[in-house]
Amino acid sequence: MRDTSGSFPTIAIPEDGRFTGGRLKRIERVAWSLPVCALALAVAGLTVIQSASVEMATDFVSRQIVWVGLGVVVMIIGFSVSHTTLLRFAFPLYLAGLAMLGSLLFFGHEAGGARSWFGIAGLGGQPADFMKVASVLMLVRYLCSAENRRLHEREVLIAAAIVGIPAALIALQPDLGSAVMLFPALASLVWLSGLRTKTLAAAFVLVVITGAAAWTFGLKDYQRDRILTFVQPETDPLGRGYQLRQSKIAVGSGELVGKGFMQGTQSQLRFLPVRHTDFVFAVLAEERGFVGVLATLALFLYYLWSCVRVATRGRDGQAILLVIGLASIMGFHIFYNTGMMIGLVPITGIPLPFLSYGGSFTLFCFFSTGVITGVDYRRWVNR
Amino acid sequence: MVVDPQERRRQLVVRTWQLAALGVLLFCAVIVGYWYMQVVRGAYYRELAENNRLREEPIQGPRGLILDRHSRPLVENVPSYHLMLDRSRSAELAESVHFMAKRLDITTKEVEARLESYSAVASFRPILVAEDLSLDQVAGFEAMNLEHPEFEIEVLQRRFYRHGTQLAHVMGYLGEASVDDLARRAGLRPGDLVGARGIERAYDPLLRGVDGARVVVVDHRGKLVEEHGRVAAQPGNDLQLTLDLDLQQEAERFFEGQVGSAIALDPRTGEILAMVSSPSYNPNAFARRLDSREWQAIVDDEHHPLQNRSVQNSYPPGSVYKIVTAIAALEENVVTPDDTYYCSGSTRIHGGRRRCWKRGGHGTVNLRQALQHSCDVFFYHLGPRLEIERIADWSRRLGLGVETGIDLHGEKPGLVPDKEWALRARGTMWYPGETVSVAIGQGPLLVTPLQAAVMVATVANGGDVVTPHLVKDYARPPRRRVQLSPETLAVVRGALQDVVDSGTGRSAAVAGMTVAGKTGTAQVVSQATQIDSADLPYEIRDHAWFASFAPVENAELVVVVFVEHGGHGSSAAAPLAKILYERHFRFLPDDSDT
Repeated sequence: MRDTSGSFPTIAIPEDGRFTGGRLKRIERVAWSLPVCALALAVAGLTVIQSASVEMATDFVSRQIVWVGLGVVVMIIGFSVSHTTLLRFAFPLYLAGLAMLGSLLFFGHEAGGARSWFGIAGLGGQPADFMKVASVLMLVRYLCSAENRRLHEREVLIAAAIVGIPAALIALQPDLGSAVMLFPALASLVWLSGLRTKTLAAAFVLVVITGAAAWTFGLKDYQRDRILTFVQPETDPLGRGYQLRQSKIAVGSGELVGKGFMQGTQSQLRFLPVRHTDFVFAVLAEERGFVGVLATLALFLYYLWSCVRVATRGRDGQAILLVIGLASIMGFHIFYNTGMMIGLVPITGIPLPFLSYGGSFTLFCFFSTGVITGVDYRRWVNR
Repeated sequence: MVVDPQERRRQLVVRTWQLAALGVLLFCAVIVGYWYMQVVRGAYYRELAENNRLREEPIQGPRGLILDRHSRPLVENVPSYHLMLDRSRSAELAESVHFMAKRLDITTKEVEARLESYSAVASFRPILVAEDLSLDQVAGFEAMNLEHPEFEIEVLQRRFYRHGTQLAHVMGYLGEASVDDLARRAGLRPGDLVGARGIERAYDPLLRGVDGARVVVVDHRGKLVEEHGRVAAQPGNDLQLTLDLDLQQEAERFFEGQVGSAIALDPRTGEILAMVSSPSYNPNAFARRLDSREWQAIVDDEHHPLQNRSVQNSYPPGSVYKIVTAIAALEENVVTPDDTYYCSGSTRIHGGRRRCWKRGGHGTVNLRQALQHSCDVFFYHLGPRLEIERIADWSRRLGLGVETGIDLHGEKPGLVPDKEWALRARGTMWYPGETVSVAIGQGPLLVTPLQAAVMVATVANGGDVVTPHLVKDYARPPRRRVQLSPETLAVVRGALQDVVDSGTGRSAAVAGMTVAGKTGTAQVVSQATQIDSADLPYEIRDHAWFASFAPVENAELVVVVFVEHGGHGSSAAAPLAKILYERHFRFLPDDSDT
């Protein structure tokens, strides 16, 4: 595809394609790298889930195939709906998301001490994943209305509130990990919109203070334990440190080329916890080795790179902010999930985009892929 | 300060590249991290994985015991030793096979066949190669542990049913969880044992323990060095049954060599004190893997020993059903206690000739006499006057034609025919002549022995349709009540008492107490001529029924006995009722080995 990042597409290109026909056909306007990467990763994920769940009572592979199928559908929907339409409905979607999160506190399924699931026809869905889309839309809409070169403190605070309210509701479930995952979108979009040095410093101080307050008052014991374990993993090798120790052994023992499909002793002997969801990458690392890790990360990197390219050739501010908002959430998931296996960051329940078993998060990733591809497709059309 | 769109877009693009640079940095950190762990330190972690000394071992949560009403255990958990083989620890697999075959006194071929079935399983996963080792065999493997570290003994608990074939249908047995079980119930893993029949199945969630786990440190031979932390296993709940082992064993003894069913229940509560189905099977045989020959023998048995005849088979009720017809006729005012018919030994109804079982006839009889002597002619006349719908309605009110709600799976509803049934199931209309047959308990009617017991219990307690049950202390759904007038009860109870005092049920009479009962002889094939059943081949001999309760006022025990192809109810079935009443009310010395 031609690089147009340098020039703003001010030339009006008729939608009937006659004018562009000589240069680019319709099908060539689609940034195929995004959906192709997504599907390749999902297929890789299925093989890992199969190996990880072979001993489990539930057939997670078939279920994930259903989710990926649904994912392709929502990806096409995301592609078809213009982002201007999406942004027009940002506020109602955001309110609907808040209502879902609120009602969840009363009606949700209790799973592992947290009420974060709605059961839908036997398959589970987390409104937190829906909220990721809604919050980004709401942020983009708000920040694009601010035409200033750099944001005022007040605007930063309102942006923080847009993310903070749903994050607080999610944290109350309590699912601190998912709540934190909304903030990369806030940080990257506020950064894009421009910050004054003073604001940056103030934000830094605020984060430190709220962090300290949360540590003291807001965290549950197990959450505090996890962070402590992260800082000093050897203090408790059999309790909280167990997961980290086992995932490190799994990853490390994969060595360069891995132990082979279904041959991972860590995975097959059930040392690894939730190995079909959050720890799916450890199974991959054990069975496919560093080569497999590198190949998967390369796919992810290419995917995110494509997102950045779509953003930089975006038609206007809205397009750029929307693409970066969605991509930053996925990018941070990738970084956090792969990082926690080897002890870069504390272990918490964060899935890996496209690879982990999981319903609504898979849908979120595919939908975002569709939206980003759609934004790119429409840059050619002047409306 | 508003900026022009061109300038703003340029800014956004620049800051996007800044973010992208940060992202690349984070990705590099991750890649370097994996490179360090997998390539630089890979050998170290590989060794850790190979000797992963932390092991999570399940601790079996013991299954609850099952006790009789006097708290005598009917089943216990006994240890059973399984031989596990970890092929990855074997120096030479052929040598291991040879060693094992010698120890277990089997051929190497058999061992190899066993290993073959596990060929798809990863070699480091211990596989089950032999079950139920004797203590000598266990000692043999333990003694050679240094030379053959690949073998491990796993101790599991196995169910042992103390009374073997007795109680088998009530207790049931365990089997491996089916695909259906796994899908339906959370927390079950493939290979788990769940109740497959009887109480073991119906109360499986209560009985089963919750497995715990312990994290242990093991050395390179897999031997325990120390234990670090454990989640305790929780034992399952003990269940106290309503069964009385003494009564049960008396009844079981009576049925040795006979086919049929007996039920003793308390008409005040629905508690079942004895429930026998014969022939039986030994549930202990199911505690280990059955070989196909043993299984085939059970399945091929012409008497189907796995079936619980008390609830899973239904039979024509014969004359026992006259109790229902009599109640319906009295309650519907079709007949008064004083109305009489003349029985000459046969009568003409609907153009056909109907015989009474007594060829000489009963003479002039009223309802009470007709019920006492089981006069067919009297009841033939009631049939057309009641019509099938009212008979069917009263049958259902008294608990026939519908499941009793007992706490066992697979209960049959029996069959109470009516006009709608005839159209739906048969595609023909209901013939008036059939109503005449139904009135004496023949025709398409089918009841389970347990339904007969519930029906009799309703007469005994004055109108409560009890929910029969086997487990004490678990709430039963509310009982249904059927309105029976005192006159009806007096006539029916009086007639049934006469049956035992001076009629066909004399062999159930117990000195010193009042017993009420009704014999029944259900025809298996319609007989044109009256031949004594004893002279007929077994398969076409009549079924024998005896349904009874005692004492007549304030009844405490209902006994229903059913003997398949037993001939006459009076001779084949009633004697067991006498035995059970004497045992229950007289507290005869306990000579059973409990």
